[in-house]
Amino acid sequence: MKRYIARRLMQGVILLFMVATIVFFLGRLTGNPVDLMLPEDATAEDRAALTQTLGLDGPVLDQYAIFVGKAMHGDLGMSIRMKQPAAEAFFDRLPNTLVLIPWAILLGMMLGIPLGVVAAVNRGGMLDRAAGTVAVLGVAMPSFWLGVLLIFVFSVELGWLPSGRMGGPSHYVLPVITLGTFLVAGFMRITRSAMLEVMESEFVKLARIKGLSEATVIWKHCLRNALIPVLTLWGVFVGNLITGAIVTETVFAWPGIGRLTYEAVIYRDFPLLQAVIILKSILILSINLGVDILYAYVDPRIRLA
Amino acid sequence: MLRHLVRNATLAVALAIAATAPLHAQDQKGTLVFAVETLSAQTLDPILEGRPGNAVYQAVMYDSLVGFNLEKGGVGPGVAERWELSPDGLTWTFYLRPGQTFHNGDKLTAHDVKFSLERQMGPGSLAAAAATMKRTIKSIEVVDELTVKVNTTSPQIGLPASLSRAVAPEGAIMPKNYIEKVGEEEFRKKPIGSGPWKFVRNVPGDRIEFTAVAKHWRGTPHFKDLHMLLVPEESTRVAMVRTGEAAIASIGPEAMLGASRAGLEVLSVPGTMQAIFQFWGTYKPEVKDSPIAKARVRQALSLAIDRKQVIEHVMNGKARMPYPFSTFGYTDYFSADRWEKWAAEAYRYDPVLAKKILAEEGYPNGFELKFANTALPGTQFMVDIGTAIADMWTKVGVKVTLKHYEWGSFAPMERGDQAPLIGWASMYRTAGRPDAPWRYNGAFSPDSTQRLLGDKENCPQDCQDFVKTYQALGAELDKDKRTALTDRMVEITANSWTVIPIIEGMGYYAINTKKVGQFNPIPGRHELGDVFERIPRPEQKPWKK
Repeated sequence: MKRYIARRLMQGVILLFMVATIVFFLGRLTGNPVDLMLPEDATAEDRAALTQTLGLDGPVLDQYAIFVGKAMHGDLGMSIRMKQPAAEAFFDRLPNTLVLIPWAILLGMMLGIPLGVVAAVNRGGMLDRAAGTVAVLGVAMPSFWLGVLLIFVFSVELGWLPSGRMGGPSHYVLPVITLGTFLVAGFMRITRSAMLEVMESEFVKLARIKGLSEATVIWKHCLRNALIPVLTLWGVFVGNLITGAIVTETVFAWPGIGRLTYEAVIYRDFPLLQAVIILKSILILSINLGVDILYAYVDPRIRLA
Repeated sequence: MLRHLVRNATLAVALAIAATAPLHAQDQKGTLVFAVETLSAQTLDPILEGRPGNAVYQAVMYDSLVGFNLEKGGVGPGVAERWELSPDGLTWTFYLRPGQTFHNGDKLTAHDVKFSLERQMGPGSLAAAAATMKRTIKSIEVVDELTVKVNTTSPQIGLPASLSRAVAPEGAIMPKNYIEKVGEEEFRKKPIGSGPWKFVRNVPGDRIEFTAVAKHWRGTPHFKDLHMLLVPEESTRVAMVRTGEAAIASIGPEAMLGASRAGLEVLSVPGTMQAIFQFWGTYKPEVKDSPIAKARVRQALSLAIDRKQVIEHVMNGKARMPYPFSTFGYTDYFSADRWEKWAAEAYRYDPVLAKKILAEEGYPNGFELKFANTALPGTQFMVDIGTAIADMWTKVGVKVTLKHYEWGSFAPMERGDQAPLIGWASMYRTAGRPDAPWRYNGAFSPDSTQRLLGDKENCPQDCQDFVKTYQALGAELDKDKRTALTDRMVEITANSWTVIPIIEGMGYYAINTKKVGQFNPIPGRHELGDVFERIPRPEQKPWKK
């Protein structure tokens, strides 16, 4: 088990290094922050001076060497735009994103799992098709569009909820629905297929022969077993939410790491962009590693493979 | 009866006093909420922020050495009431307004002005014009508490304009004693200025909060608090104004109709920018056989543009016919009336004449034009304008190869040898600023970044004329002669048809009339940082429909 964890950690480090390298060079292909910080009629002299002040005047490979050297010591640089350590900016905003995630997952599970069960029980029937439609809509509907639609209906027309921004409990409703809709579809589809598999099992037939009610068979015996693959997908969903919150946070003016990523791209804030992507990658790798370790613990065949 | 009369008379007198008395702190009520698409660097230290952020949120708490002409646009009194140039053109003397104080009670003096200008030029400053200031400012002298002299290395006629917020943030006045006492880090956490609003709180990525001062020469705020919310998505900003969560939101022209139909007031600020198209490297030997090397062909392309259609359909009617390149109604030392008439004729829509000129120049069947379409930050509608004019050129037979560039990938192409752009036309923008020469220098001087008329190796007649005129303008102290030289500079470049304005754009805001009363923006100043203190509450000055 220890060798397995060590191997996965080593893979994670290599992956992080590759991510950092790609982000460093791709970021610089998209332009220069100086172009966005100076007015269009800035002189070449002022442009050169600012480029030097920001440390962007040296060869890119030299900049890369400095970046790697500092990153090895945990220094991900200073945000060009915000003038604060990039990692600090990330951790300042991370809690704002993390507070949305449990609610979005809860919403996804509360709606997705029952829908999946109903769909499986009514396989091929009207309810199955209806649930399938919900799943397709959930996956296909752009979160940007859904967010704007929700604001229009619930804030502007009905006046029930605020349009956006962080605040009291009512401020969470629309962003959570927007984030959670994708999860409803995900949980529904996984639950449905897991349920179908479990419903064909021998122990389910035995339960029915024993005369248990259909509700007990489905909701107690089948669902409990079908939930194992569903629950292990948490890691993937949390990862998706961390990376996928950009649109939701932008639409709802939510100051989380999704918005921070968007701002880093828009302002060509290279150090911030690098830090955000690296730290997000570490988060996702950690979650995935945790899930894999859990798998390996539950199923020894995985660590032996 | 008598008691009744006395009571009414007392009431009338009280109301009259209330209407005419200066606004006091006890009259300041409520919170003015402004939703904006970007708070830029969201720092309250003026040396760390560029112009847009400075003009939006730093402007509320810092005063600028030179201010605005609130009615006409352009420069006006600021921290300095007046300023004058020495006969040799090498020294500007600024006379400060007496009685100004910072938010901690310290007096604002000439020492603060000297300190602020030097800080803008000092190490760690990200000021856009820091290097230019360092080169052109020789020394700064404090004459007395209210007089400061700026000695320059050569005549700098445009210095007051460049120290006004109308152009750049470099004129923001910071508290010398406070910064020296608490240090830069503490100043950035707890900044103080001398503006009509005091800093309260900065929540990165979310908001900045201010509270009103009791009295201020720029105008005493009518609201008690001012909250600036960062809301990047335009439809969310409009929704917030509709629901009353925000009183004012910045919007683009594409959102104007929707906002208007939803019952919001749409405020347009005139003269904030020009959308232009320009030709790159037309003087280069490798372009000499290209149709765009001919000024008449470039003029024909201008005649093929129906600017009124662009104004009507792309800008939803909230734009106007432009003056020549980078000039506006408020441009200093400029014959605005004369050029307005000239532009109305020169920038007319005449596709028949356009075709005729093309035929006379040897292109009866048109030609192939490479056109780079791009939009500078904050003016995304420029892409729609670029697409529209490309379509109009197609109608006079020009085969347009249209390529879209995100600004970040376009900007690097205009530097160095400009190889990717030589022989191309492109969209561009010029921001509203009162001093035309600075922008002209950046576009046309042979040693400038854009060098659109010629470079050091190839400087044709237009280019040489421009250089001569620009140099004469820089040294001219007489106002009338300066106006004549500015007009000449405009004439040379306008007749070269190298940079051609399409429309004069505006800044747009959606307003909830139940939340704020009627107010006027400053012409040419898109940002409202210097306007918030004059925005009344809705009951003070209702919007008239």
